[in-house]
Amino acid sequence: MIWLIHVLNGIAIGMLLFLLAAGMSLIYGLMKILNLTHGSFYLVGGYIGLTVMQRTGSFVLALLAAAAVIGVAGAVIERFFLRRFHFDELPQTLITFGFLFIFADASLWIWGGDPLMLRQPRMLAGSLPLGDYGYPYYRFFLIGVGLAFAAALWWFQEHTRLGTMLRAGVDDAEIARALGINVSLLFTLVFAAGAAFAALGGVLAGPVLSYYPGADFDALILAFVVVIVGGLGSLRGALAGALLVGLLDDFGKAFFPQFALFTVFVPMALILVVRPTGLFGRR
Amino acid sequence: MTTRKTAPIGGTAMAVLALAALALTLGAPDRAALAADSVKVGVLLPLSGNFASNGQQALTGLKMYFDEIGNAAGGHKIDLIVEDSQGKPDVAVTKAHKLVERDGAQILTGVVSSGVALAVNDFSRENKVPLVLSGDAGADELTMPGPLANPYLVRTSQNGRTVSAAAADWAYKKKGWRKVTVMGSDYAGGVDTIHGFAQSFCKLGGQIVQEQWPPVGTSDFGPYLTNIDRKADGLVTFNPGADGLRLGQQYSEFGLKGKLQVLDIYGTIVYEPNLPQLGDGTLGIYSSLFYSPMIKTPENERFVAEFKKRMNILPANEGPNGYVGAHAIADAIKAVNGDLSDKMKFIAALKAVKFSSPKGDIALDKYGMVIQSMYIREVQKVDGQLANVPIATYTDVDQFWPLTEAEFLSYKYGYKELKGSLTDCAKVLAKK
Repeated sequence: MIWLIHVLNGIAIGMLLFLLAAGMSLIYGLMKILNLTHGSFYLVGGYIGLTVMQRTGSFVLALLAAAAVIGVAGAVIERFFLRRFHFDELPQTLITFGFLFIFADASLWIWGGDPLMLRQPRMLAGSLPLGDYGYPYYRFFLIGVGLAFAAALWWFQEHTRLGTMLRAGVDDAEIARALGINVSLLFTLVFAAGAAFAALGGVLAGPVLSYYPGADFDALILAFVVVIVGGLGSLRGALAGALLVGLLDDFGKAFFPQFALFTVFVPMALILVVRPTGLFGRR
Repeated sequence: MTTRKTAPIGGTAMAVLALAALALTLGAPDRAALAADSVKVGVLLPLSGNFASNGQQALTGLKMYFDEIGNAAGGHKIDLIVEDSQGKPDVAVTKAHKLVERDGAQILTGVVSSGVALAVNDFSRENKVPLVLSGDAGADELTMPGPLANPYLVRTSQNGRTVSAAAADWAYKKKGWRKVTVMGSDYAGGVDTIHGFAQSFCKLGGQIVQEQWPPVGTSDFGPYLTNIDRKADGLVTFNPGADGLRLGQQYSEFGLKGKLQVLDIYGTIVYEPNLPQLGDGTLGIYSSLFYSPMIKTPENERFVAEFKKRMNILPANEGPNGYVGAHAIADAIKAVNGDLSDKMKFIAALKAVKFSSPKGDIALDKYGMVIQSMYIREVQKVDGQLANVPIATYTDVDQFWPLTEAEFLSYKYGYKELKGSLTDCAKVLAKK
């Protein structure tokens, strides 16, 4: 029974990580930008969701509002700041780093330094008794949402025109442009979508992880690990990486508590040595 | 006719300048007289950054007391000069220099983070500036004989081990717990606090059956909660900051509520700002602390009412600490008649203060450490709101309680050596 709980937990946290990392992986795959603002999209999205939840009591509204606001913010950042340094990755990465600090300070000013928790929607509160233990319904919900999201993204990539254009852009942006694909618009859309996914992850993570100054850095680092393990630019890699990291983190903490901080990073280091492009990475 | 290159000062301008000069000269002697008579108190608190809310509470408590006595003690005006330490030791020391050298502060007070406390403690010792720790800063060694000892230091806030010792005593004697599982944040303060509990609990005859150390910033307590030894009588925790909030949430989520009771040292889970967020899942959680806003004395009720008016929230740890610190400073200023030139005399006056406060009765020991009360609280619903209601009180708790100083210093191992061996009572209690 205790094994089942650990596995469930690893998968649930893995799903949260997938939501967080999918956006970052897509953004890198298409635009070759390592988006350091990603953690901020997660945290500020979460804070916005919290505020909406407090005012309206609706979890769905919180999710939509966070995704919308952060998606627009992402689009604005891409269109008016990152675009100026087209194809120059270092300045673009530095700009995202700058935005990380701007968002962090603004959040501290608006929401303060005390840790804040998003209350679970009443429908999902409580836990399923599993023998001597219990497992929260909310985490089952997270597993479901994660799987649905992964399926939706896969279907989008394989079976829609936009998805095909995206795959072409990831493969070779120059040729794609030569073929008439509006790669610039694709860039903006993907950046906005990636940001929105991170924001969704932020709201969904609220009841589990809580919001506090520094959560953006924590999320960013975890997203990195997932994306490095899974391979940059690959959604399959993001899912595999997320599940692997989630399970390793849980089992590591449970069975090797002295190395709780290492269980996530050691596999990452190993992968970098053995397979530098990650499990499903290209090139 | 030569062109004038510079405009001559017109008549009106001259008059204004003359008036201004006159005003300044008239004002100056007043200010000088004031300066000679007033005592300048430098306040170092984190007013921005992660500890901002703690710092704001301490500042409110400090200001509340000084306002109550009309910002004067024994006829001497008290000038508060407030600086933001940002919770960073280097910034705090820079501001300390500024307060003492440029602003003429004769006393320094405040301090929330232990890291800042250690840095400012060194500053105080080197520059011979009386320092009254009135925010938080509970590192035990600051007021114990040893390398950190500072004759200019006085602490009115709290220290880690007494809060744990009270918890251990109550758990063993009143709850009848004999076996406990402990979960503490993996950093020096966390290990120190849990060690304090283990020492007292082992001495009474109890046993720690399991120790878990989630790293600071752990977001998912799932694995730790799932791993808990179900045979224990209770779970003893110390996880400050956001960790406490998350642990509180996940404790009920993982089906432990009702199956395993929690004794939260320092009230990190049931910290007042957390209670409304965690909701009814916290009912029944026990905690130990040197204060509760629900203490039923007219003194505390007045304090809480005024605090709520100023900050719109219930006071937690730092509010009453600031208030008590201010009271001690004011009493000492009165005792030396506003003359702080003999610093050791002022420190002696500080150590001699004795008064009753919202925290309970206050006195200080020879090392300048506060002797106060400890409260065991339980989360209950009061007037429809969740609150930490005191259900047991320990008075006259000094920093070595329940041991004597000699007994405390006779133990062989400190908390650093005992991490990982807390389940072995013989080692915990080993004497030199």
